[in-house]
Amino acid sequence: MISCPYCNHENMEGALVCEECGLSLWGNPNNKVPTRELEDDTSELSVKSGWGTATFEERDQIIIHVRDAAEPITITPDDEFLIGRLDAASGITPDLDLSPYGALEKGVSRIHAALRRGEEVLSVVDLDSANGTYLNGQRLGPNQPRLLRDGDEIRLGKLSMHIYFK
Amino acid sequence: MEFLDYYSILNVSSTASETELREAYRQAARRYHPDVNPAPGAEALFRDINKAYEALSDPRQRADYDRTWRNRASSTPSLLLEILLSRRELRPMPEPQILYVLVKVQPLLEMSLSSDAPLNLCLVVDRSTSMKGVRLQNLKSAVHHMINHCSPEDYISVVTFSDAAETLIPAQHPDDPRRLMAAVSSIRADGSTAIRSGLELGLREIERHRQARYVNHLILITDGRTYGDEEECIKLARQAHERGVGISGVGIGEDWNDRFLDELASKTGGSSTYINSPDTITWFLDNRIRSLATAFAERMQITVAPTPGVNLQSVTRIAPNPMVLGTNTQPIPLGSIEGTTGNRLMLQFHMVTAGAPPGAFVVGRVDVGGEVLGAGARAERVVDEISVTITDDPAPAEPPPEMIDALSRLALSRLQDRAHEALEEGNVEEAAQKLEYLATRLLENGSEELGQAALHEAQRVARTRQLSAEGAKNLKYGTRALWSTPGREQ
Repeated sequence: MISCPYCNHENMEGALVCEECGLSLWGNPNNKVPTRELEDDTSELSVKSGWGTATFEERDQIIIHVRDAAEPITITPDDEFLIGRLDAASGITPDLDLSPYGALEKGVSRIHAALRRGEEVLSVVDLDSANGTYLNGQRLGPNQPRLLRDGDEIRLGKLSMHIYFK
Repeated sequence: MEFLDYYSILNVSSTASETELREAYRQAARRYHPDVNPAPGAEALFRDINKAYEALSDPRQRADYDRTWRNRASSTPSLLLEILLSRRELRPMPEPQILYVLVKVQPLLEMSLSSDAPLNLCLVVDRSTSMKGVRLQNLKSAVHHMINHCSPEDYISVVTFSDAAETLIPAQHPDDPRRLMAAVSSIRADGSTAIRSGLELGLREIERHRQARYVNHLILITDGRTYGDEEECIKLARQAHERGVGISGVGIGEDWNDRFLDELASKTGGSSTYINSPDTITWFLDNRIRSLATAFAERMQITVAPTPGVNLQSVTRIAPNPMVLGTNTQPIPLGSIEGTTGNRLMLQFHMVTAGAPPGAFVVGRVDVGGEVLGAGARAERVVDEISVTITDDPAPAEPPPEMIDALSRLALSRLQDRAHEALEEGNVEEAAQKLEYLATRLLENGSEELGQAALHEAQRVARTRQLSAEGAKNLKYGTRALWSTPGREQ
């Protein structure tokens, strides 16, 4: 229950405005997120705080942090940037090859997903992969683009990564 | 014919085995089968789920379907969906909790900037006695302005009505604007308001040149109430929607029936607008028509089905044409996506999470679609399953700022609705209090004028047990207008 500081109305868990008097409850201390303590050695990029921008400018770059990988990957995406794993036998070469990150074991398809440029936006689309693409925990239907924001988490099969705009 | 993406509907990849398909179907049935899920949206969704499974579970049918699917999948979709949740992680709780979901549909391609869509537009104009004088004068000059600013490809028509209706300008290109304007100048005010006959003639004019690549739209302008033919009007609106024709309602002055006009327009995904001073008619019409001409997609609709144990409380369209939408008839018509701003909807779910195992919890499914005009009126659909994670220890997370902002604005309209409801129940004190809360919120939000109006109505309600007709419309449409205005009212 969230008690409204203005009219004392008891609101349901998760309410962001008071049902009774219309007060925004997000400013309310008992509905606020406690400050998260950062460990000393975490890179600041690995904690997503707040909501990233959805604006992706012409000259922007993307930084991809694959979970448990030491070095981030920096890329400048074309109109369509393919992500998957290299398969020498079939001659398929994605723009970003995730083989070095255990792609095969983690169920990444050869052509798994793509990043697409729109008008000042970037979207992610699952290219009918066998094990699915997840955006912030939500599974995407095949070939259905979703808007990407700075700091979003993408998971390909079991391989998880964070996307940052630069 | 509309193409359905069966793989998206079953949420599996196109390489899914028969076993995987069967499992996906079973899971969908557990969530959306009408026997377990009485929600109005579930029935509509399950029909598609069934269709998808029937086609894919038969190897021969599947092979046929796959050929079309591959063709289709290689063309880039033009609707981009974004779904923002107020929280991603929820605690298991026996009491119901609220989850807000902001659904945004926007154009993906540069296509949105391509040339304007041609209009097939009919103005249906009230010429009853009450329109006499400055209202009709202003309306005439607004229509003149419109005729002058139409593009040569557009079709326009004008129908007038009072006791009966007549077609003043049959649907045509604006090749001879002077003649058309002269016809408009000849309108005289006389008689009562019988909306149905006007609506009927107007729709007939649109029908003459109705095509999918056009924005087929009727604008109804009235200052009065129609008596006895409301039901028939709603029926006409429903038929218009089935044919892909949109309706906007415009009310002038205080005496028209806003609920009726809202209901009428909402059957096609449109909404009504209040014009409190006649000299703003030109401005309004001009804007409305410009906006219609930038339509990127038409005949948009959404189906929302919560899973069992979850309740869909409300669906509110924030932009364009702000309005609370009914959820009983699904799919819900959304009208058009105009310009590059896209369509924004706020969904509110109430859900009980006690007993749910830790991990992913599917809240429900949304299915949004429409016809993309730039792509030759190609029908596109996007399906998404909304899910959260159930955990005893949710990580702290800030709700999306635009959601907090939108909810505070929606709350203003909700307060004036609640004041109306309280008055209808004869609860004067409650109504006055809601209006006072509304005044407080508006004033702290910087909406000085509207805040004062709310305060004024609160005092009036306490004194006379009713709102003034002008004040009621002013608050309803004034708070609505704030939904999609970024920044503060000046």
